[in-house]
Amino acid sequence: MSVGDRLVSRFDRGETDGYPTGLTLLSGAIAAVVLSPIVWIVMRVLQVDTDYALSIVARPMTVEILLTSLGLVAAVTGASICIGVPLAFLTVRTDLPFRRFWTIAVALPLVIPSYLGAFTFISAFGPGGQLANALAPLGIESIPPVYGFWGTTLVLTLYTYPYVFITTRASLLSFDQQLVEAARTLGTTRWRAFRRVTLRQLLPGIASGSLLVALYTLSDFGTPSLMRLDVFTRVIFVEYNAFGRETAAMLSLQLLAITAVILSIESRIGDSSRGAYVGTGASSGSDTTVSLGAWKAPALAFCTSIVFLCLVVPLAVLTHWLVRSPSQATRQGVGFQWQFAINSVSVSLAAAIVCAAAAVPVAYLAARHRSRLSELFDRMTYVGYAMPGIVLGLALVFFAVYYESSVGDLLLFGVDVTPTLYQTLPLLIFAYVIRFLPQAVGSTRSSVLRVDRSLTEAARTLGRTPAGAFRRITLPLIAPGVIGGAALVFLTTMKELPATLVLHPTGFETLVTYIWSVRESGYYGFAAVPALVLIVVSGLSMVVILSQEE
Amino acid sequence: MAEYEGDDHRSDATGRGRRQFLKLTGTATGAVSLVGCASNSDESTYEREGSIPDPKTYTVDELFSLEEWRGSGPLIDDRPSEYTGRSMLDLPDLRGELTVYLGGGEGGLYANLMKRVQNTYQDFIVNIREAPSSQLANTISEEVNAGQSPADIFWAIDAGSIGIVAENDATVSLPDHLVSEIPDTYHPTDQWVGVMGRARSIPYNTEEFSESEIPNDILTFAQDSRFNNAMGWAPTYGAFQAFVTAMRLIDGESEARQWLNGMQEQGVNTYDNELVVANRVASGELSAGFSNHYYSRLVFEERPNAPIDLAFTQGDAGALVNCSGTEIIKNTANETLAVDFIHHLLSIEAQEFLATRGYEYPLLPSVPPIGDLPTIDELNPPDFDLSQLADLEPTLQLMREVGAL
Repeated sequence: MSVGDRLVSRFDRGETDGYPTGLTLLSGAIAAVVLSPIVWIVMRVLQVDTDYALSIVARPMTVEILLTSLGLVAAVTGASICIGVPLAFLTVRTDLPFRRFWTIAVALPLVIPSYLGAFTFISAFGPGGQLANALAPLGIESIPPVYGFWGTTLVLTLYTYPYVFITTRASLLSFDQQLVEAARTLGTTRWRAFRRVTLRQLLPGIASGSLLVALYTLSDFGTPSLMRLDVFTRVIFVEYNAFGRETAAMLSLQLLAITAVILSIESRIGDSSRGAYVGTGASSGSDTTVSLGAWKAPALAFCTSIVFLCLVVPLAVLTHWLVRSPSQATRQGVGFQWQFAINSVSVSLAAAIVCAAAAVPVAYLAARHRSRLSELFDRMTYVGYAMPGIVLGLALVFFAVYYESSVGDLLLFGVDVTPTLYQTLPLLIFAYVIRFLPQAVGSTRSSVLRVDRSLTEAARTLGRTPAGAFRRITLPLIAPGVIGGAALVFLTTMKELPATLVLHPTGFETLVTYIWSVRESGYYGFAAVPALVLIVVSGLSMVVILSQEE
Repeated sequence: MAEYEGDDHRSDATGRGRRQFLKLTGTATGAVSLVGCASNSDESTYEREGSIPDPKTYTVDELFSLEEWRGSGPLIDDRPSEYTGRSMLDLPDLRGELTVYLGGGEGGLYANLMKRVQNTYQDFIVNIREAPSSQLANTISEEVNAGQSPADIFWAIDAGSIGIVAENDATVSLPDHLVSEIPDTYHPTDQWVGVMGRARSIPYNTEEFSESEIPNDILTFAQDSRFNNAMGWAPTYGAFQAFVTAMRLIDGESEARQWLNGMQEQGVNTYDNELVVANRVASGELSAGFSNHYYSRLVFEERPNAPIDLAFTQGDAGALVNCSGTEIIKNTANETLAVDFIHHLLSIEAQEFLATRGYEYPLLPSVPPIGDLPTIDELNPPDFDLSQLADLEPTLQLMREVGAL
């Protein structure tokens, strides 16, 4: 029996409390709520004339777009693993100089909205861009074109690999080196030990980060549209621009079908090694730092070039724009206000808290009471993550307005007490929860898996109720995972644009809506200040995420 | 909460008559909370006081502190001394609350104007919601589909978005007195009315071409070898797509296809937006390009001596004058207030404000465009119904087929 199998069997043995009906219902309700926008999509699709629908689904372009989208997902995910895993290894396991600094710096690109990244990238490296001009005197006539498939892959990779970095890092930190040593003692070869033990242990971490990368790539429309790559989201966006809401809904449904396929692939990877999460405890103190030796310089160069591309280039371009901005900007509307930052932080914080709370039942059920149903609920929460923000936004517009006009006026002592929903903060936060819940679920699930089941059993033996045992034992132990997940939600909410633009309360400006409006006016330089604030504020919360791991 | 320019002086004037108040406070503008809209919209009590005056001719002194509405700089030296139309002073007082969905919004200038109008009155609040115009058009359509839109007015930078909302039966007819001063081209139906014009133009580098060398026929650019590897365009940009829509509907699809293919064979350079096109023309990287007319003005803001000038084609799609337009959303409880508010946007003062600060074409004929821009009549735009710009889908299809998008 392999180490992994033994771990799995130990995990399975704990099913003593029977099936928790209440928890299942709660978890199912959460999953159903976050899936509800699909109803709207289906409603719109049903309005499409059947022949027209077939002509769109079957047209050669749709197949081409499908292949491009899948290719992009594969390329970005693969490239993110190639960057994220080595970086995680370097910052956890080696004697890389300034490890703490690099840990924060290479995770920071996560907070830069990829549309901003793409925008500055084109400006720097595009035809006639600043960097292209700077290189021209050096005899470098042409740098490879930034547009198209490879440009999109590059930009998306640079801003999404931190998902893989963070999850792999967490796996590495909780990785029990003694398992490898045990395997080696039992006569396993080094390569076999790596494959059977190390890889098995790291795979779920890598897979859960890769899943977030893959689904982000599938749902992002800003980058492909700036980089002129025809993927599903760009075509959906173009349809919305051309007022083809029904066609757009149909393409969204196809996008969700792809999502389902990706989710099931990840489920298989997760399944084959699910037990690997259960270490004997993260703090196995064996000192296994790898000395880089002659590899120190290349390793530093690798980290430096990543940070240069992801952080220095966009900040330099924004600053350059800021300096070049005309002093008298007549078309400029509103100046930057700190209130925008406060608004951004408060909605993001609220979304993070709600996501954390909703993630616990779903993740706990999926981790502790594995069944097809709990697995399904867990997977269902991921669907909203792959839904383009504009689609989600319009679905909620319809539902909220429909609710408000059908509920009528609720009068209480002659006072109208009808709760308003549309264009309120709760609805906006709800949209964020739909979009970003899986980030909290994933992180929470793996932390539940890491809790030694015998501890809860001991508490139960000593007379605690299941709920009491959960409160006193499990919750404190999974808190770092829950907080880490909440922080990821916080970061992605900070930079979310499309749903925010559709659903924010009138007059409620955030950093990203402000960046959007100055960009729209052509004064790109004015985006520098809010972008810097966005990066600094988000960077601080990055420190929170990473401190949870220690 | 968004703060526009200036401080709030409105409370100082409590109890004074409006005309006196206006004269006293000049262009009092202010910081006003935008939070908490919609709540009063059901119980609107606005009744128009007085009536809408007939248009007449005013001298500058008779207008409402015109110099405050005007922008600054050398270009305003040769503004007229008389204007015909309606002055804000003679329009009915605004009272109550309006929600305006602002599509595009010209980077805050439209919002600034609305805030100025708001701050002219004591009991008037305008809530502004800004987003891309096509997105707001979709949003309003969903809202009206599901029940009631919170918007009273939709003001968007392109006639296409305005047109599609009207087509979806989500608007009300505007009264004659509101649209009577605006040329028919800019209110092709009674459902919406244009506010400012935006002309297609050919920005060219004056060191590369003289004005006479720029053809006055858009088709020539796709054929003449002088424009080989010399031109730039921004095909993802809404205004450019509107121009292609116009070409497709005026000249037919095959002609438009041929033109797009021709331009690509000419090696046209592609950019994300037309400000970049204008900038690249000014820097000499391009000899000429396709853009909305006001982008060259924005280049001058940064580089007053930039070697760039504008040419216009004659009577074809290349000379299209698109417009920003307003419409009133169906079932609003504030229809009369909305009408009177749009009257303010079409007043001499508001048109002067937008013309001198944003360089767009005023649609009130007595207010001339800024600087040496030709007037709309001199431009010779094509004979074209702007409502048709909503027919965007086949254009995008075409542009994708030829590989321009």
